[in-house]
This record gives sequence, structure tokens and C-alpha cells, in this order.
Amino acid sequence: MVARFLATEALADIAAAWARDHRLLAPVREGAAVLYRPWAKDMHPFLGRPPTSSAKEALLPQTENLLTYTYRKDRDDLTRTEVFLAEPLPQEPTLVLGSRPCDARGRKLLDRVFLERGVKDPLYEARRKATLFVTVACERLENTCFCHWTGGGPMSEEGSDVLLFAVSGGFAAKAITEAGEQLLAPLPEVGPQVQEELAAKLASPVEPGPAPDLSKAPERFLKLFGDMDFWMDQSARCLSCGVCTYLCPTCSCFNITDENSGMKGKRLRTWDTCMSALYTLEGSGHNPRVSRAHRLRNRVGHKFCYHPQEFPAATAQPEFSCTGCGRCIKSCPVSVDIRSIVLDILEKGDKS
Amino acid sequence: MSANPYMPMLGTIIETYDETPDVKTFRVVLKDEAAMAAFRFQPGQVAQLSVFGTGESTFVICSPPTRMDYLQFSVMRVGELTHRLHTLREGDPIGIRGPLGNHFPHADMKGKDIVFIGGGLGLAPLRTLLLFMLDNRQDYGNITLVYGGRTPEHLCFKDELKEWAERGDMRVELTVDTPDKGWTQRTGVVPAVLTDLAVSPKNAVAVTCGPPIMIRFTIQALEKLGFTDEQIVTTLERRMKCGIGLCGRCNIGEKFVCVDGPVFTQAQLKKLPQEF
Repeated sequence: MVARFLATEALADIAAAWARDHRLLAPVREGAAVLYRPWAKDMHPFLGRPPTSSAKEALLPQTENLLTYTYRKDRDDLTRTEVFLAEPLPQEPTLVLGSRPCDARGRKLLDRVFLERGVKDPLYEARRKATLFVTVACERLENTCFCHWTGGGPMSEEGSDVLLFAVSGGFAAKAITEAGEQLLAPLPEVGPQVQEELAAKLASPVEPGPAPDLSKAPERFLKLFGDMDFWMDQSARCLSCGVCTYLCPTCSCFNITDENSGMKGKRLRTWDTCMSALYTLEGSGHNPRVSRAHRLRNRVGHKFCYHPQEFPAATAQPEFSCTGCGRCIKSCPVSVDIRSIVLDILEKGDKS
Repeated sequence: MSANPYMPMLGTIIETYDETPDVKTFRVVLKDEAAMAAFRFQPGQVAQLSVFGTGESTFVICSPPTRMDYLQFSVMRVGELTHRLHTLREGDPIGIRGPLGNHFPHADMKGKDIVFIGGGLGLAPLRTLLLFMLDNRQDYGNITLVYGGRTPEHLCFKDELKEWAERGDMRVELTVDTPDKGWTQRTGVVPAVLTDLAVSPKNAVAVTCGPPIMIRFTIQALEKLGFTDEQIVTTLERRMKCGIGLCGRCNIGEKFVCVDGPVFTQAQLKKLPQEF
């Protein structure tokens, strides 16, 4: 299939066209950060480097409505009320422009939780079916990137509908799915020069370098589970701020709270973080994860042990609940690095 | 019923009464009579109760499936939601999402002696199973209940405790940490009573629920008496939100208390990462 050409100056126009029938999210510069924002007139998508936030919000919004409720007073007995419930509104189709391969792979891992674990989440499912990813292939790895450790790659097509490759004057756009092909229909095919450039790029992809063998991570994690000195050491700097979980393309834990407004209100689902002490604090005051060491252990354990246990892979390389995007490393205010934790687990879990 | 698993069914509170100074019992029926008639659950399963505007929390259904005039929940006033719940009266609306979770393996307990060991409101899930067994009394061997509370006032289901002690086909041993003037029964902690009674593990199952510290020492006492890990059944509590295995917080290793539990045997618990 011939790729289509997306000239740099045509980017805003095609984005505006896509935004007519989609909720379009695109990365824009905001101060030092690059954040996915809903499309607005005169917006300038910035595709120059991986966004600071992940594209997970397209599939699992930071806040979403699970239901609405209304109380009505009984006119004959004002001390009595009745409550009425209503379903949330249907989902709008969404298009993410400028996701990265690590974002797109996150979709599969979110599917594991919301579609394959047990109860299917119909809100997620509806949004998932109506969401398209137009992904930018990575030209280079940042020093926090490690997608190749966890089964991904800078040019991985997995989870994307369109993959964009930077070429002279813009992007060569390759449709991965049928829906992606339809998105690209208005664009011209690439000329011979760009075709050659793209062929060269695909022939010698970005070489991410060697990756450690993580296949023993789950069992070594379990060996170290009770070694609180190890976990105290790993978590000594952690501030429990939770930025790692909020920026993670696969962290999917959520809270449910009611937001009241007079006689009516909404029951909301919001992102939660297992780094917070409140996350597991019980009404009685008991907390099974009372310290940062317990909580960091749970986060690392979930990604590199519990997920592979729950979803065993057919291959020797386990499937981890981590796409190696490195956002948790890049934005951690105290430089906690999940790569070095995993490497320490591999090393120390071998000895213990 | 809605396909949205977060959408509760609407119910009405038909009766409330105080069990202890901080525990209140609610008897609830579903508004939709057909849904109430079709409601099926097993002893040990839980439900999420909603007070719209405050939120939801998880409680065991503490009436048995053999008595379906209403669903009973006994609630200790400890947090935001339970404070709000305690202000509700007969006739007030309430949301119910359930049944959720697994249940006591009562089919495997047929023909065996059953030892119930409860502390405080930990008697609530045991009550469901006990009443279920009393309603199918011929299926089980000797039934013993060892139940303790901080003070006589803090014992739940007081009327039933008397009734069970008097019915002649089960044994009831009550104990309190701090007795009051009229207290004629045991004083001391539950595990000590167990040891004192020298309950036999022969063809028996122990089912226990209570505060974490009580469960820990109860299991130690049972082990000393010769109970194996397979013969000890407990039901866990965790902070929960969704109740359907998605929101994440109730995990112990790869298991979720809300779907893989709340009921576990000691043998199952020993296989999990020790994070209680």
C-alpha cells in the first residue's frame, strides 16, 4: 500500500477536518510540558517529542460520569424523598493525533483490565471501539525510553490506526487499520522522493540497543516480596505524589465519588493512585499498605509480577503492564527510576 | 437490570434498629418486586450500598438466601458513608449493587462439624452462613459458635444469640473483654476461649471473621488445636470501590478480594503475597 503525504502546513487543516466528526485530542506545548488537549481553533499540534502525559485519557478520562441521580421530595410528606437514576450520555468518537507507539500499546493493556479480566466495562468498551490513534513513530529514544525492554519498539504499529513517519516537508502516513485508511483518504499519495525516504527509514529502523532479559522478573519479585529493607531502600525518596501513575499509559486504578449539586448529582469515576495512603485506608483505620515501601512494592509488583501472572503470555517474554514509555521516570520529582528497581529485583532476587 | 455494572438497583429500607452503640441493622427490599423475587445470592457474598450524594460502600448480606423477605445489612458507623447511612430511616431510598464476590464453600461443609468464631461485627457474615445452616440443619454435624465483643453492649444480634443458645441443636459460647455487672458468661479473648474449649478438628471446619488481630490469633489457636489450612475459612475486608475487580485497590498479589474473595481458606491465603 502506498503511504499518504501529510505536509507540515496541512496538519492543522486535516486535524480540523477530523475534529468535525471526532473529539480530537492533540499534543500542544504548555510551558515546559506537552499535553494532550481537546481540539480548538488555532491550536498548533506539537509532534516534535513524546507528550508529557500519556494518551490514556482518550480511553479512560481523568473524570467521567457513571450515572446521575435526582432526589425528589414527596409533596404530601416533605420529610420523604424518592431518588431517580439515569445512565450517562453515550460516548463521542475520539481521535488521538500524535500518540506514540508506547501510548498505542497501552490500549492493549487497558483492554486486559476493562474487557478481559472479568466484568466488561461497557463505558470503556464503547469508548474503546470509537477511538482512533494516529501515532507518530519515534525517530530516536530519549534517555528515559525503554519500550524495547517490554516488547515494544520506537516504530511499533501495535494499537495504532495510522503511523506517521517524519520525512522532508512533513510526514509519510501509513494506514494500519481500515479506519486509519479512511482517515487518510483526503491526503495525496507520497511522491517518489518521499517514498524512497520512507523505504530507507523502514529498512534501517531506529536501533534501540540491547534490552535486559526480564523473563525472571515475576518470580524474583515474589522472592523479594517480604524483604522490607529492599523496599524501604527503593522507596526512600518517594514522595507518594502519584505523578507516575497519572502519566502512565497503563495505570488504570480509579476512584468512585459522588458530586452533589442541590437535589441532584453525578457519580464520577476519577483516576486514582496506588501511591496514596488513602487508596487502601479502611474505615476502621486499618491500612494494608501503610508505608511508601508497601505502596511502591505494589506498583512495581502489579506491573512486573501480578499482571504477567494474571495474563500469562504465550511467549517466553512475559507481558508486563508497562510499555516502557519512561514517563514515570521523566516526571518523577525525586528521580525514582522503575528500570533500576526492576534491574535490582533481577539481581537481588537471584541471590535471596 | 442495567448493562452498566455501576448502576445500582433501587431499594427501600423497611426496618432499622440499633445492634450496639455504633452498629445499626438495615432491612432492605428492592423497589422492583420482580427483581427482588429474582435476586439470588450465596452466603458470604457482599453488596454495595449507595447513599446517592455520599457514595457507596461494601457490606456483607447478613441475612441468608433461605429467608428472602428482605436483605439485611449491619453497618458500623466509622466513616463518611456509614455516618450518612446511620441517619436513614424506614421508607428512605437506598441503592444496592450486588451480589458481588465469592461465597462460603457450604457444599463442601455438608456432613461436617462447624465451628464459627466471630468478633464484634465480624459475626455478620457468619450469621448468614449460620442461619443458612440452621435452615438446612440436617445437612451439618455439630455447630458451635464462639463469639466475643469488647463489652456485653458491643455484642451484635443479641436476641438471636439467646435464641441460638436455647434451641438445643447448637452450642453458643460468648465472651467479652470487659464484663459489666450482669454478665454471667466468659471473660477473655476469643482465641483463649477456643483453646479452653479444645474444639476438635476431626471432620470439622472453622469459619472465622473479626478484627484482623483477632483473626490472626484465632488462626494460631486453631492451628495448635490441629486444624489444617484447608479446614480454616475466613472472609476478608478491604477498601473497595467498584466491587467488580476493576478499580484496583483491593488486590492481594494478583487476586482481588472483591471478585476472588472475600472468602478464602487459610490454604489459599498462604499462597498469596503476605500483605494483610
